[in-house]
Amino acid sequence: MSRAGNSMSNYMRGGALLLTAAVSASCMSAVNVRAAEKKADEVVLRICNWEEYIDLGDWDEEETIDLESGDIIGVNPMIEDFEEWYRDTYGIDVRVEYSTFGTNEDLYNMLTLGDVYDLVCPSEYMFMKLISEDMLVPLSDGFFDPSDENNYYINGVSPYIKDIFDSHDINGKAWSSYAAGYMWGITGIVYNPDEVTHEEASTWRILDNPDFRRQITIKDNVRDSYFVAIGALKSDLLTSDAFVQAEDYKERLEDEMNDVSPEMIQKVQDYLQDVKDNAYSFETDSGKADMITGKVLANYQWSGDAVYTMDQAEEDDYYLNFAVPKESTNIYFDGWVMLRSGVEGHPEKQHAAEAFINFCSRPDNVVRNMYYIGYTSVIAGGEDDRVFEYLDWTYGAEEDEEEVTEYPVGYFFSGDAEDEDYVLTVPEEQLTRQLGAQYPSQETIARSSIMVYFDPQINDDINQMWINVRCFNIHDVPPAVWVFVIAAAVLLAALYVRNRQKQKLYGN
Amino acid sequence: MRTLKFSRKSLGIPYAVFLVLFVALPLLVLVYYAFTNGQGQFSLANLTGFFTDPNTLGTLCYSFAIAFVTTAVCLLLAYPAAYFLATSNIRQKHVLLLLFIMPMWINFSLRITALKEILTLIEGNLALYPFFNAVAGMTYDFLPFMILPIYNTISRLDGSLIEAAKDLGANDLSAFIKITLPLSVPGIVSGVSMVFLPAMTNYVVLDMLYNSTYIMGSLIGSYFSAYNWHGGSMIALILLAIIILFTLLTRGMEDDGNTAKVGGALL
Repeated sequence: MSRAGNSMSNYMRGGALLLTAAVSASCMSAVNVRAAEKKADEVVLRICNWEEYIDLGDWDEEETIDLESGDIIGVNPMIEDFEEWYRDTYGIDVRVEYSTFGTNEDLYNMLTLGDVYDLVCPSEYMFMKLISEDMLVPLSDGFFDPSDENNYYINGVSPYIKDIFDSHDINGKAWSSYAAGYMWGITGIVYNPDEVTHEEASTWRILDNPDFRRQITIKDNVRDSYFVAIGALKSDLLTSDAFVQAEDYKERLEDEMNDVSPEMIQKVQDYLQDVKDNAYSFETDSGKADMITGKVLANYQWSGDAVYTMDQAEEDDYYLNFAVPKESTNIYFDGWVMLRSGVEGHPEKQHAAEAFINFCSRPDNVVRNMYYIGYTSVIAGGEDDRVFEYLDWTYGAEEDEEEVTEYPVGYFFSGDAEDEDYVLTVPEEQLTRQLGAQYPSQETIARSSIMVYFDPQINDDINQMWINVRCFNIHDVPPAVWVFVIAAAVLLAALYVRNRQKQKLYGN
Repeated sequence: MRTLKFSRKSLGIPYAVFLVLFVALPLLVLVYYAFTNGQGQFSLANLTGFFTDPNTLGTLCYSFAIAFVTTAVCLLLAYPAAYFLATSNIRQKHVLLLLFIMPMWINFSLRITALKEILTLIEGNLALYPFFNAVAGMTYDFLPFMILPIYNTISRLDGSLIEAAKDLGANDLSAFIKITLPLSVPGIVSGVSMVFLPAMTNYVVLDMLYNSTYIMGSLIGSYFSAYNWHGGSMIALILLAIIILFTLLTRGMEDDGNTAKVGGALL
């Protein structure tokens, strides 16, 4: 799935980027030729999104989602459907050039190396970075006009998400003026309930729990690891009654989870070094497969990938659970932003870009994307109930089911946690399965924290910390090895000298 | 009738273009980045930084250790195999050789994935033996590169030299030690250079076999993903310097057809 990126693409990262620089120079002329060929009034929209992060269509007939309000099925790729819809709605031809990226950092590197896109979909900290570096164009006023029926985003976005995008800012610029949400999620632990109890999995400290030595994977990613380490190190504070019941709990939680003091960075380094010796591995993409095949007992995961992992395991009648640590969970958002280098001075591109966001926010398309990729859309649907219907269709309890429970999701759909229109009746086990990951409960959301963008200096320090964790420290070389190395070096030197002398001897 | 003049030199033009575009230019970019800082000013900080940081030096050592052990294991496995192949009289020799080469035709990540499953069966939990796994993976990957050059060298040995040695009273063992082994040094050197240096940087093997410690290749990658092009380029350059040093030291020992003298002199 996309947030994890594709492991091979990570391996190729360094080389690919250098190549991109060289190749984009040599392809310049080719691009110009194509530009001349294109139809006079066709708008070209260049989109860069996460890998496997949009419906590509081609579903089987039996995959049809048969909601009461009508069937939903992905026949064509979402991109093609958009091109057609845009032509029908606005009478303008648009051609989408769609490409993908593997990690936020890859995307940023691609942008700074001169790749030009109109619309991209980074995570919140990366679009905060892009906003702070003035690389983005704000969304237009028309985009936020609720009276336009084609403005599916503003008419459908969850009040909970909208509030977060309105209330968070960088340098005084609100997220919502530049970014429109796409998918969101939390982080947690996927675990095998036969070997690990829910209690054991419900803390970040599971990662250095010696009972599970070499049986847990963790994300190979500095930001995720940093968050986890803070959660584990401050476990006592974060779960203390005084802290949890404080009036300003939410702000204090966010402050604690974004603690980047030098002492904290040092502590995190020490902690992660312990984790490295205790965990199975730091993984970019292999964790899901290792969880499904039973190589590991627990796996630190993003909620969307957790859903995917549990789905896959269930196909083999192997049931995995999902736990959200009691300390805190990292809530994250991927959002669409328009780049200055692409759309500035091209109102027709900006219009198409905003229309694309709206098209992806139309409830039937939201359902298609969610079904296809397993992540959770920021769209609740507004007047249109199809997203909630889909939720009920996926998780709602069968009539003969015995252990059922009520699951309110009003906080997301209407902004009112008590709203009785948005209560699902679900099998109890779903609380610790896919539902708990895809639509976290009210309690989970209460202890979620955003991880903000750190300024460049702190970012450098944290990256250095991460490199220190992963490197072998020369002070750890055993003395015997030094003796051996020196002996070998002396031997080689002696051989070399002898070789030279012999050559002289033979008159060479 | 005019004949088209086409000198043999112009056959080299396509490669020369390739060389300039994809080797020389990137190298210049690399050097530029290695010796500048974030503000684009000349700086030696990347160089001194590398040699004063216990973590980067440790990574160099760790990479050396993996490469050294891998090379040694490859050599110990490859030499007897190549020797047997080259000297035996079995008829279908080339079929056997093919068997050794064949793994190279299978996709690399597929092979390592297969190895991962095999090692899991043997070890139970892969993560308990990270160093061993790294060496096993590298050995599996690079063994053919060690066998081929040694096989080539031994199979081209002049058999009469060994007959002469035996005529002069040497037994099989001393003929091997005094004639065959010294004469196959060029093959060994080629093999070592084809295994040792890639083994220092091929971090995909470590990633896939759950060794979470960085080696030189992953260290470069981590600098790049932290937007530190300068530090990463410097490490790449240092690796390049190590390669050049290695080549200089072994110059003249490569397989150049005139092997007996130099190879014999080394031992």
